[in-house]
Parts: sequence; C-alpha cells; structure tokens
Amino acid sequence: MLKSTYQPSSSPLPPLPPGWTEHKAPTGHTYYFNQATQTSTYTRPASAPGVVAEHNPHASFQQYSAVPNLADPAVANAWQAQYNPQAQTQPERPRFGGRGGHHGAPDARNRPRPEPRDKPRSKVAIPGCEPWILVYTKYGRRFAYNPVKKASFWRIPEKVMKRILDLDIQSIQEKAGAVVKGDGLEPIVDKERQAQAVVQEELEQEQEQEEFGSDYEEVEVTDEEDMNAREVDEDNEHASKRQRIEDQDQPFPVEFSEEDIAFQLQAMGADYGLEPGEYDDGDPSAWPEGAEGIPLSDVDTQNLFKDLLSDYGISPFSPWEKIIEDGKIVEDPRYTVLTSMKARREVWEEWSRERIAVIKERRAKEEKRDPRIPYMAFLQEKANTKLYWPEFRRKYKKEPPMRDMALSDKEREKWYREYVSRLKMPQDTLKKDLTALLRSIPAKDLNNKTLLESLPPQVLADVRFISLDPQTRNPLVEGYISTLDPPPEVEEVIEDETVRKSRHERAKRERALADRERVVAEEKRRQQRQLAHGRAILREEEMELERAMRVDKKGLQSQLMAVREKDSESNH
Amino acid sequence: MPAIRSHASRQKKPPEGFEDIRDDLEVFNIKMKDAQNTPTNNVPKHQAQWPIFQISHQRSRYVYELYYDKEAISKQLYEWLLKNGYADAMLIAKWKKQGYEKLCCLRCVQTKETNFSSTCICRVPKAQMKDETQDVQCVSCGCRGCASSD
Repeated sequence: MLKSTYQPSSSPLPPLPPGWTEHKAPTGHTYYFNQATQTSTYTRPASAPGVVAEHNPHASFQQYSAVPNLADPAVANAWQAQYNPQAQTQPERPRFGGRGGHHGAPDARNRPRPEPRDKPRSKVAIPGCEPWILVYTKYGRRFAYNPVKKASFWRIPEKVMKRILDLDIQSIQEKAGAVVKGDGLEPIVDKERQAQAVVQEELEQEQEQEEFGSDYEEVEVTDEEDMNAREVDEDNEHASKRQRIEDQDQPFPVEFSEEDIAFQLQAMGADYGLEPGEYDDGDPSAWPEGAEGIPLSDVDTQNLFKDLLSDYGISPFSPWEKIIEDGKIVEDPRYTVLTSMKARREVWEEWSRERIAVIKERRAKEEKRDPRIPYMAFLQEKANTKLYWPEFRRKYKKEPPMRDMALSDKEREKWYREYVSRLKMPQDTLKKDLTALLRSIPAKDLNNKTLLESLPPQVLADVRFISLDPQTRNPLVEGYISTLDPPPEVEEVIEDETVRKSRHERAKRERALADRERVVAEEKRRQQRQLAHGRAILREEEMELERAMRVDKKGLQSQLMAVREKDSESNH
Repeated sequence: MPAIRSHASRQKKPPEGFEDIRDDLEVFNIKMKDAQNTPTNNVPKHQAQWPIFQISHQRSRYVYELYYDKEAISKQLYEWLLKNGYADAMLIAKWKKQGYEKLCCLRCVQTKETNFSSTCICRVPKAQMKDETQDVQCVSCGCRGCASSD
C-alpha cells in the first residue's frame, strides 16, 4: 500500500525568525519574505535559537504597526501577513484564474497538492501607458508589470485598465478577422458583433471576479520576489483589505455596475467607430439614439455596391460568374447591402456599362502610342546575349510588352535578334549608328529645344537607339541636341488647335452676320422700291379719276358733233 | 514534316480591344480544357458532356453581352471572335429571336431528334410545369429551364 510521503508543514517546523513572514504563492508554494531586508526566499530561514521562543504575532504586529505607509501595497501585504501569521500558514489550495471557483474535496484543503508552477510566458507592451507591460503566464493568467518601478499587480490598476481592455478588443477582433479570412463566408459585421459580445462577456466575468475579489486583486509583488507570488487567501485578508481601502484613496471603482459596463462599451465602440448595433446585442431599446443605423436608400445601396466593385479592381469586361467564383467581393460587408443575387447582378451590369463607357472615352482621348517603344525599352532592360529568342519568349511571356497584340511575334523575334546581334558589336559602331539615326531625324522633330525625356518616337522605337546603354547614350544624345539649330519657324506659326478653331468659328460668325446684313439691306431696298411703285400707280389712278370727273358742256357737244359727223358720212 | 497550319484567318491579329477581354477568355479556355480532360468514368453517359455545353454557353453569352448589351467591343472584334470560335454564332442567332432569349443549346430546340417531335423539357416555362417542385435537368445539356418567361 502506498504511503503518503507528505509531512504536514505547520507543526514540526520551527517558528520564523522575527522580520520574516510566510506567504503563499498562487502556485501553492510557501515562501518567506523579510520586510526589513526586502528579500524573499523559498527556503525557510533558520531562526536564531534565542529568538524563536519570543516570536509571537502580537509582538510582530507591534513591531510593524509602526510602519506608517500602508498605502504601499507591498508594505500592506507584508503587514497583513504579519498581522495574521497563523491563518497565513494554513495551506490553501490556490485558485487559478478565478474562472472556475471550484474547490477541491474538503480533505484536499489540508494539504497542498503538488501544483504545476505557473510561469510568465509572453509579454505585451500596453500602448498608451508606456513603461507598463502586460505579462501572460503559462496558465493564461496575466498581470500588469511596471519595469521602471519594478512593480507588478494581479489586479490591474485603473489607469492601465482601459488600455488593456482596448488591447483585448483588438486581439479578439484580429482573431475574428483571421477566422473570416479562413472561412470567408460569414460577413464581417457579424464577426465584429461576436467579438464585442465576447468582450462584454469578459467584462461581465471581470465584474463577477471583482465582486468576490479573487483574480484582479491588487497584490504587489516586488521584482525580487517570484513574479508569480500572490495572495489569494481571501478569508484571511478580509480585515486587512478593508483597512487598506480605508487607508488609501480608492484607486478604482469597487462596484462595476451594469451601467458602467454599458457606458464603457459604448465609449469603446465609439472609439472604434462602430455602430451601437454592432457591439451591443442586447435589447435595441437601450441603445442611444440613431444606433439602429439609418436605413439605406436604393440608390445608396446601389452606389455602395458599385464602390465595392470599383474598389476591388474588378475589370468591367469580366463575366459575372468569374467575379463571384473569385469570391473577393463576397467577403466585403458591402456585398450584403443588396439582398438578392439578381439585384447584385443588375447593379453589376449597370456598373460595368458605365465603366466601359468611361474607358472607351479615355482611350479615344489618348494619343496613339507606338507599340514598339515599350517593347524596345523592355528589350533593353531584359534581353542579353545568353538567351535565345524561344527562351526569352518563354521566360517573359507574361510581361505586357510581350503580350501586346499590336505587335506580331515575328516582328518581336526579328527585333530581338537584331538587338542581340548589335549587343555583340563594338561600341564605336554603335555610337556611329546612333549619330546616323539622330541625323536622319528632321529638324521639326529633333532640335535644340527637344528634351532628353521627350525624344521623338522614331528615335525611341529604333534598335540603334536602344543598343547603347543609357550611361553612354544620354551624353551622346544631349551633345548632339545641343549642336542642333532651333526649331524651324513653321512650328511657331502652327497654332494651338483650339485657338485656331475658335478663330475659325468667329470668322464664320462674322461672315454670317455680314451675309445677314446684306440680305436685310436688299430686302429694305426692295420694299422701298415697291412702295415707290405703289405710290406711282396710285398717283396715276388718281389723275385718271380726276380727268374722268372733269365733264363739261364742251365735252358733250363734241361728242354729239362726232355722232353727227358719222351720220353725215354714212348719208353720203 | 511541316507544321500544320490552321486557317489563314486565325493567323490574323485580333482587332483593337482584344486585350481587355483576353484574360477572361483565357479563363474560359482553361475551364473548357479542364472539362474536356476530366474523366467521365463515374458519370452517366448522357451527363458526360454537360459541363462542356455549359462552358460553351457561358462563353457565347459573354461575347454576346459584350457586343449587344454593353457595346463594349467593336464589330470587327466581335466578328473576329466568332470566326475564331470564341462564341457560337448559331446560338447567338437564336438569342436574337423572340422567345429564345435564354436558349441553352441548339439541341434543345431541335424537334426532329425527339421521340414526340417536341422541344426539350427545359424549354417549358416553369409556370406550365405540372410538378413545379421537381428540379428537372434536360438530357442534352443539363439545363434547368431556359424559357424566356422564367
């Protein structure tokens, strides 16, 4: 039968020498601390023979009651340990993280289990409060540590608390983000909400813990001590704790009520620019005003979706199936603003039509560039004598100059071969060829006003130009350009297209005006002539009328006479 | 042995604007090759060619929409594409007719090949189907319904 090797520690051990106190580390180990020398040790200090008998708690209390500053947690810890050494020596099963709160079987309380040791595992700098770092232990607990003051606290101080909460939220969101990348199907908004929910949960847990004061208890452990040392014996500490709180200013709210949490969450949510609906999944009536978000109009949703399409650099020429299969846009929260696939497709169609129109317009405006120029530049950059054309083509078949449809493969091959053969020629020949090329360019294109950056395309697209490397070529070209004449006068005369156009239009307008004036004048003249003619006719008629009105006796007689004459003639 | 040259027109350079759609057409090409190379051992015999019909339909539709709906490509390019087999000109000809706007494949309107000299089941509008819940795929190309009213 197995026999326990355990020996109860309290009774057979000799009492501690004065100044030493016994403490319980969270791992279950007892350690000893000397307030006077500020040292701690796991080995039980051997007492001087004479002193042992004298040692009693009250004496030590009196000794340490003289310590004035109990606000210092380290001092307070030591002091309270002194104050109640018997209780302190009682083995107590440490509680990890305060999460479970389960106690072992009652008999287990009497002796410490062989506990695994907790160790600091990783540390994170707390952004915002610089010297402070957050240390995570092997068992997932954590404490705040100030390396400057060499002080660490299980209960995180108030001033660091907020930053740590921010940090928590951030890490949870990162995790959530990683998950989103992993499965890529659930919308991010939901993830964020989940993250917020998790944070809230944690907060609530924290609050619970604070209520029974187990985990985030403020226990200072100086650097010389084991980092993990902490006191959890709440039963023993109640009195001292109360006293401590009375002594010092209260550094943190003891009661962390539901409203506080809600407020803090809101503040945090505002910091992250989240909508209240996204971090609080409680009842929506408690949200501040406008939290539900403004309902999006149809135009807004469509524009959002179009923005999404534009942002992901999707080609407007691509088929819809390809876009969906690629699945890039599916992860974006804006993807869900449109609820049905049909609506999405319609918006995509509209968007692609618009984009294609824009692209076409832009291309029409763009000047035509010689496709040989980029190819030649590419050749100069990549081609060398060691590569045959098929190898070169295979190697760079993905490059845009090699894929350009405006050039055929035959032409490309021809230029490649020419270029490579030129690379083997001596420099002098190449220079001579280059000057010959430059000389062949008319003065209109190449003159002393030409810049090295804006050489005419005839030059840039020539094999002779690229076969010299830029270091030797540029001075040569510059030198040649400086010897040239200024550009011929004709060029100055050629006006800007728009100016000419406007002048032409103006001339046209003036001509039109003159035409109009001429027509009007003619019309006027015609009218005047007509008027005069009408007057003349009128006058004539008037005169005739007047003549007709003038009937006298002589007129009648003469008529009668004429009749008589006729009669007499007929009688004869 | 001399290299086998295809038709002279295929040697011709594609017209302007082909660069825009080249990558997407290449994707279709790859898909088609994959579909052709997948073994059909475990597939029912009538289903073996469904993916090929589907990809061919998608590609034709793509070219058709680019030219007729979005007017994104020029007439020259459209004709070049048809000539080079990027789209099925006969199928596109059908799409221009009323009632055939969504036709899946030419076989499905070929009445002479069927037992009751009627069109394929996929040409029947959903509204006229007796059993609407049943998901029918046509035998020739796996179409689930291509009536214009669907």
